Amino acid sequence: MRFVLRRLGFYVLAAWVAVTLNFLLPRIMPGDPASAMFARFQGQLQPEAVAALRETFGFTDASLAEQYWTYLVHMFHGDLGISIAYFPSPVVEVIGTGLFWTLVLAGSSLVVSFALGTLLGVLAAWHRTSAFGRLLPPLLLFVGAFPYFWLAMLALWLFGFTLGAFPLRHAYGEFVEPGWTLEFLASAIRHAILPATTIVLATMGNWLLRMRNNMTAVLGEDYIAFACAKGLPAGRILFHYAARNAMLPSMTGFGMALGLVVSGSLLTEIIFAYPGQGYLLIQAVRSQDFPLMQGVFLTITLAVLVANWLVDLAYVWLDPRMRSSG
Amino acid sequence: MFRRNLLFLEPKRGGPRKLSHVRRNAANMSDLRHTGGHIDMRRTFGLNGASSRPTGVEWALPLFLALACTDPQGGVERGAMTISKETQASWVRNFNPLVAPGLSRWPTTCGIYEPLLVFNVVREAYEPWLATSWTWSNDHLTLRFALREGVRWSDGATFDAEDVVFTFDLLREHKALDLKAVAGFVADVRAEGPNTVVFEFQRPFVPGLAFLAQQPIVPEHVFRTVKDPVTYTNPDPVATGPFTEVRVFRDQLFVLGRNRDYWQPGKPQLDALRFPAYPANDQANLALIQGEVDWGGNFVPAIDRIFVERDPEHHHYWFPLVGNMAMLYANTTHPALRHVAVRKALSRGLDRDLIVEVALYGYTKPADATGLSDAYASWKNPAIAASDDWTRHDHAAAAAALDALGYRMGARGLRSTPEGEPFALELDVIMGWSDWIRAAQVVASQLHELGIDVRVQTYDYAAWFDRMQRGDFDLAIGWTVKGPTPYVYYRGLMAGAELRPLGERAQSNWQRFQDERTDELLTEFERTDDRQEQGRLGDELQRRFVMLAPAIPLFPNPPWGTNSTRRVTGFPNAEHPYAMLSPNDYTQPLLVLTQLRPQDVP
Repeated sequence: MRFVLRRLGFYVLAAWVAVTLNFLLPRIMPGDPASAMFARFQGQLQPEAVAALRETFGFTDASLAEQYWTYLVHMFHGDLGISIAYFPSPVVEVIGTGLFWTLVLAGSSLVVSFALGTLLGVLAAWHRTSAFGRLLPPLLLFVGAFPYFWLAMLALWLFGFTLGAFPLRHAYGEFVEPGWTLEFLASAIRHAILPATTIVLATMGNWLLRMRNNMTAVLGEDYIAFACAKGLPAGRILFHYAARNAMLPSMTGFGMALGLVVSGSLLTEIIFAYPGQGYLLIQAVRSQDFPLMQGVFLTITLAVLVANWLVDLAYVWLDPRMRSSG
Repeated sequence: MFRRNLLFLEPKRGGPRKLSHVRRNAANMSDLRHTGGHIDMRRTFGLNGASSRPTGVEWALPLFLALACTDPQGGVERGAMTISKETQASWVRNFNPLVAPGLSRWPTTCGIYEPLLVFNVVREAYEPWLATSWTWSNDHLTLRFALREGVRWSDGATFDAEDVVFTFDLLREHKALDLKAVAGFVADVRAEGPNTVVFEFQRPFVPGLAFLAQQPIVPEHVFRTVKDPVTYTNPDPVATGPFTEVRVFRDQLFVLGRNRDYWQPGKPQLDALRFPAYPANDQANLALIQGEVDWGGNFVPAIDRIFVERDPEHHHYWFPLVGNMAMLYANTTHPALRHVAVRKALSRGLDRDLIVEVALYGYTKPADATGLSDAYASWKNPAIAASDDWTRHDHAAAAAALDALGYRMGARGLRSTPEGEPFALELDVIMGWSDWIRAAQVVASQLHELGIDVRVQTYDYAAWFDRMQRGDFDLAIGWTVKGPTPYVYYRGLMAGAELRPLGERAQSNWQRFQDERTDELLTEFERTDDRQEQGRLGDELQRRFVMLAPAIPLFPNPPWGTNSTRRVTGFPNAEHPYAMLSPNDYTQPLLVLTQLRPQDVP
């Protein structure tokens, strides 16, 4: 329990540091949002419009300290301000449009990739002398080593464009009304298959390799030899004795990755025109949309912290030593 | 159109025979594998009589896959047109015509709401729209618009002069909405009866016509109750335009339906406009070459090969050179670039044919010494354009000029300034604007051949624009301002009134150019609406530009416009140049939207 509380204190401190950086970093960037907005029109707006835009976005001349205080107060009230790129929508609303799909796509593909990669890693370590154990890890690493955008574009071109088996864009069909209907779910699944598969293919190799290496080390331990000598069934040794220990480092990585899920998968979103956080973030940076940037960073920060805290809890469960050493 | 019930791979040969095989054996996985994955839907869902009973997983998997791979086969309804104009990952519902156009959805200002007049850049003339005519008083202090009668708002209310007065009062009240700085020259707006609007000017400012005439007009009876028109998103617009009904609005798609009581009888002939969200150019282009997009405004590389050749009968594009000029700005406060002769020598060192070919796939042509694009065809004086050749590539002459000015060629093929410093310049261009970056690279390498050490530097556009406004650059590629007459164009490039000290933000005239005679000409231009007199002043301005080279014109940017006539017809093209094809404008698409019709309507 003390361990859990101590970690919690650490996370509060980390959150404060991140929130402060969140506030400072965008303000160091050159340029201002009105100019950024104006530049997008490439001279189609009269130069006078810059002044009008500056007025629209309501620039404050308050000191940095004052701005920081207002920022903190507003944040505690869940008010992240008004987005500039999507003016006048509130940031919370803008983030809402992307977050759900990001969680669906990036979240599910991470879980699949981690589960599949780890399982295959366990098996690859157990059968490390067979063809399966020799060929699978290098093969998956090879696939994972392709530049992601290339892999995704190839998949899009081959399965989407040439064969027409999968849709080319979006999270659901154009003629489907969103709602909890079978039709909508089927459409959403169909649209997620291609992007999710590319993410899984690109990332699975890492999980596999990490797990296989850990497993190989653990399988060499004396207690495994002892378990074998006792005549325990292979499955029990593999999963209850070896994998449980070997998984600890992988869990840490999984926690990090889980938190970063909410930052979206920028390339996937752009290539498959899938709505999500990644595109929002780049849009925010390009438009110098401070409130949106802060909002996206805040969700990422909080998600990473929460995910790590959950991993800490999982450690306690997986590793009995944690419970006693506290 | 590509949504078939096909999984992963086509069967290698003989589809039909094997399909019947599946029918006999229901959804059995081994058979599925055998036939390359074809699933018979009727069989899977048990719609075709009894079937042998699959068990457990064997049954569930094909069902799941079949589910995942069928999309409702809804189609684009007849009379609907799909448009790709804004690149956005998801749509935000905003139809407020008063805010900057990028904040509200296109075509809020050119399809939902309408202005008094539409300036047609191809015909170089105003088209009467909500106003039928306009007259200036002799002292050019009063401008009268006669409004069209019988125009109704989409909720049935009558459009009249009070709406126009209300709109301009809003602009003058809210600086944030006054995108054209109307408050800077208008003293008063009032209605004279229901169909006449009178603008009183603070000073004679004839070019102000363009700013007043193209302002979208909003209904007083709706906007009067809006608390803050700056942040108002106007989710359900009440307007006068051809498309006023928001039929569908989702994050990935919105559909606008036609205004059934539009004031142009029988128009619009299209029933609806569809806007799927394409987050980037690549996705928009993919949809375009697939034939899903009927009208597009995105840049397409090698357009003949990748777009037109796929369906030469239906796929078309038309890039009349009426866009704004891509300009190589030379900072006139730079110790070397402040000399006209140096700027002209730099310009002579550029092979614009090569720049156009490399940077823009030959879609455009090199600029001449007046810097005017075809948007000002009736203004351009060919004799003045031919009077100097500093926009023609002449390496020897450029080198000789630099030698004569004291920029001596040193070792390693690089020149030094008369003061003995190395002649090195930075060329700033916007990150990600690939056509301009390629142009910048060609410019840099050609100037390098001339012995000038030019380094291309890319900046994100906010940072780039900040440097431009503050005058913190040597060379930069940028855009120019557009307007119905060369007045707005030359004012942006040369006006002393726009001049700001280095470090302070200048709206235009970023290169800090100054010339008294030009300022006099611009002031004279503000005081006459006589086309002949304006023409004479336009000639004079061209002469100043050719003489002083305030900036180095490279090429006119083509306004991107592509269309497919598979479902929709009536687009402008070189044979029927009634307007420009490109949707990338905030009033002119009205001209096109009211002319288009479904393919099967004669």
